Amino acid sequence: MRAGFFRRTGIFVRRFVMEYVIETFSLTKIFSDWWGRNKVCAVEDLNLKIRKNEVFGLLGPNGSGKTTTIKLLLRLLYPTRGRAIVLGGDSCEPKISARIGFLPEESYLYRYLSARETLDFYGRLFSLSAKVRKMRIEALLDMVGLRAAANRPVGTFSKGMARRIGLAQALINDPDLLILDEPTTGLDPIGTRQIKDLVLTLAKRGKTILLCSHLLADVEDVCDRIAILYGGKIQIEGKVKELLLQSNKTQITTGVMSEDTLEKVKELIEAEQTNYSVDTPMEKLETFFVETVIDAQSRALSTSGAVSTTQIGEFLSAEAGDGKAASILDKLVSKKEVEEAAVSEGAASEAVTSADESREKVDEQLLSKLSRPVEPAELKPVTEAPDLEQEPQEQEQIEKNILEQLTGDDLNTEEDDKRQAEEQQGESTDA
Amino acid sequence: MRRVWAIAVNTIKQALRMKIAVVFIILLVILLPMMGIFTTGDGTPKGRLQTFVSYSLSLTSLLLSLLTIIVVVYSLTNDIKQHQIYTIVTKPVHRFQILLGKLLGVILLDFVLLVLFLSMIYFITVYTPRYIGATDEQINSLNKEFYTARASLKPVPVDVSRDVQRAFKELVKRRQVGPVLLEDKQARQNLIEELAQSKELATRSAGPGQQLIWEFNNVKFTSDDPNEEIFVRYKCEVSVKPSDNRVAGRWTVGDYREQKLGLRAKTPIWHKSRWDTIRTFHELEVPADVVAEDGYVAVGYVNLPQYNNTTIVFPKKDGIEILYKADDFTENYVRASILILFRLIFLAGLGVFASTFLSLPTAVLFCLVVLVTGTISGFIFESFDTLSENTEMIYRFTIKPLVKLLPQFDKINPSNFLVPARLLSWSLLARVAAVMIFIKGLLLFLLGVLIFNRREVAKIIV
Repeated sequence: MRAGFFRRTGIFVRRFVMEYVIETFSLTKIFSDWWGRNKVCAVEDLNLKIRKNEVFGLLGPNGSGKTTTIKLLLRLLYPTRGRAIVLGGDSCEPKISARIGFLPEESYLYRYLSARETLDFYGRLFSLSAKVRKMRIEALLDMVGLRAAANRPVGTFSKGMARRIGLAQALINDPDLLILDEPTTGLDPIGTRQIKDLVLTLAKRGKTILLCSHLLADVEDVCDRIAILYGGKIQIEGKVKELLLQSNKTQITTGVMSEDTLEKVKELIEAEQTNYSVDTPMEKLETFFVETVIDAQSRALSTSGAVSTTQIGEFLSAEAGDGKAASILDKLVSKKEVEEAAVSEGAASEAVTSADESREKVDEQLLSKLSRPVEPAELKPVTEAPDLEQEPQEQEQIEKNILEQLTGDDLNTEEDDKRQAEEQQGESTDA
Repeated sequence: MRRVWAIAVNTIKQALRMKIAVVFIILLVILLPMMGIFTTGDGTPKGRLQTFVSYSLSLTSLLLSLLTIIVVVYSLTNDIKQHQIYTIVTKPVHRFQILLGKLLGVILLDFVLLVLFLSMIYFITVYTPRYIGATDEQINSLNKEFYTARASLKPVPVDVSRDVQRAFKELVKRRQVGPVLLEDKQARQNLIEELAQSKELATRSAGPGQQLIWEFNNVKFTSDDPNEEIFVRYKCEVSVKPSDNRVAGRWTVGDYREQKLGLRAKTPIWHKSRWDTIRTFHELEVPADVVAEDGYVAVGYVNLPQYNNTTIVFPKKDGIEILYKADDFTENYVRASILILFRLIFLAGLGVFASTFLSLPTAVLFCLVVLVTGTISGFIFESFDTLSENTEMIYRFTIKPLVKLLPQFDKINPSNFLVPARLLSWSLLARVAAVMIFIKGLLLFLLGVLIFNRREVAKIIV
């Protein structure tokens, strides 16, 4: 009775707005056959809580219920049981859906509309005024690198280009909550990289992002928290850093060292009496690929495909209190604009980077390469490797553990977790 | 409203760019002028025009009906099948707005195409006499009988019940009806019905030398043209067929009330004796001043015994009527066009309804069945009324109400009005709009909204 009263008065609801952007209560979706017999339980007793300004990753193998969860959140499907509260209410209320951006698992677009018309159509669905629409469409076309193809019918686009338009349509309303279902499928590595950077940038501007993917690398790079779904149930949920951190290890990455120095370091480490190994670090294939393409771009080879840019639509508002946190992307944009003697879009503010400094440095270098016309191959980044990058062996081990967890018959309990953590510790000290 | 408009515009773009509408447009653009050139009808300018108007309007109306059904059904079912609907329902758009947008889009498309094609037909119709070089006399006759809009009046029905009672009493008095029959309620009823039928037949059949009189009230003219005419349109049948299929009769038109009182009528009386071919419509042109000031006029017919040896019968349904000019051809044509638009609006609503729960082919088939059934509803009623003696109860409670629920497109076919140059009044138009659009169409649309609101638009994928 009481809870009902509060719900009716809206006090209850307001609490969610403050605390969670998405909250589900025992969300369950059972598909039944024609006779009403239960056939498949796609999502079962899902209790998802996504806080404001969080990048949340929904992981899981094919058919684990990721997309069904998103469809339930967006009322494309109706739950069999349970309730989903999005932005403090029901996502089919126009007041709430006006604040959501959604990119479905495939870019379902009208083949006969051009890229610009597509964005205009969706802009109109949000009742945006003509002026705002025009401004945003141009900004988004620049951002997704499809200005040159803006007047071509979307039906003639490659999958990756369609994906970019799909993303642009999800951003046209400057959403507070962005729901991306497999955002990087069909994109080239640069596109993938851009989407990941975009997600980080948007997160910095105060948006909440729900990302659904089975590409682990994507999720690992951008998500604050993840949940792994299997069989429609959350198997594990937590902060990426906490889930993957190996607290019993230290990694030092430096430039090339002379044999002497190396020996000295070895001595020092041996004095600590711990196991160690010395390798020349491998570059990530992604970084390598991006550099190669930048090189080709710098030599001005022509392409009919999408052209990489690093601009972000300026209209994608930062939160009032978060104004200082303008991203590197913004700096790049404004710098470029000054160079081009274009109208300055307001002075870019200083980047406040504390939490994730190392990552941003990587970003900065990669992206500045992308945006600057020519800059011959330079030194490899010499930085502390981000926390998440571990030695390949260890990563395999973790993956193996997760796989075991997923395939194991028992539902994982806290005890399981502890046991696995212990095992993991033991193994790593052995190594 | 802005959102509905966006969806409407998108629907139109889809119809045009996916080349659905283009096929129909090209077909009509080629066919209509061809029909204008090659139609001959019965060889007279009037016949030619009547045939052209009838065929071209039917063709336009049929093709646009098909276009409407296909566009609206394709637009919605395709959005659902190809999942574009995901990106629309997740925007701040109510589901009814999506359906309304589709409906509005196809109605706008229909409106534009209808204006285009009906203007083509209009200009061909108006310029045909000049094109074929019609004589002044032919043009004059066309102006009276084709390029006009004539109201129709049926005679005041004659009450035969008193005659029936009298005849029945007469039979009883003459003891031709036995006491057994009097007690049997059913038999008595049958006898009275039989008597009523024969008396009713007597009011419209004339043996040799007999006279028939029909009375008409409320003949209203719109203009004060001194050359105004009224037209008596009739068709007759005979009991014994004459060798040349013709009967002779003497027609009288005027104020009969004065004559009944033995007074001289204030208005002129018009007479004419003539030969008429049986089972064919004929029209008498009578100067309009025969009509009394209060709009009363009577028509009399005498079966001339010196020429005929048969009883002449005027059919109950369309035996006789008076036509008089009530409006211009152009106005009537515009109203006929609106009638087609109403039919298209209904079909659009039907298409929306069907596609909220059916797939493309099934929804199209469903709409086509409704369209065809509506178009031949008169035929269905007629055939079942005559054939269903044994299964009458079943028919009365199943097929009949079902077909009644559908609009009867054949009753409101614009050719029915334009070919005989009959007035299609605004009031009839309003009635059609009320029943077909605001009751039947709206109900279907609301039902569609209800279904669509409850429907999960995402496909079940696990």
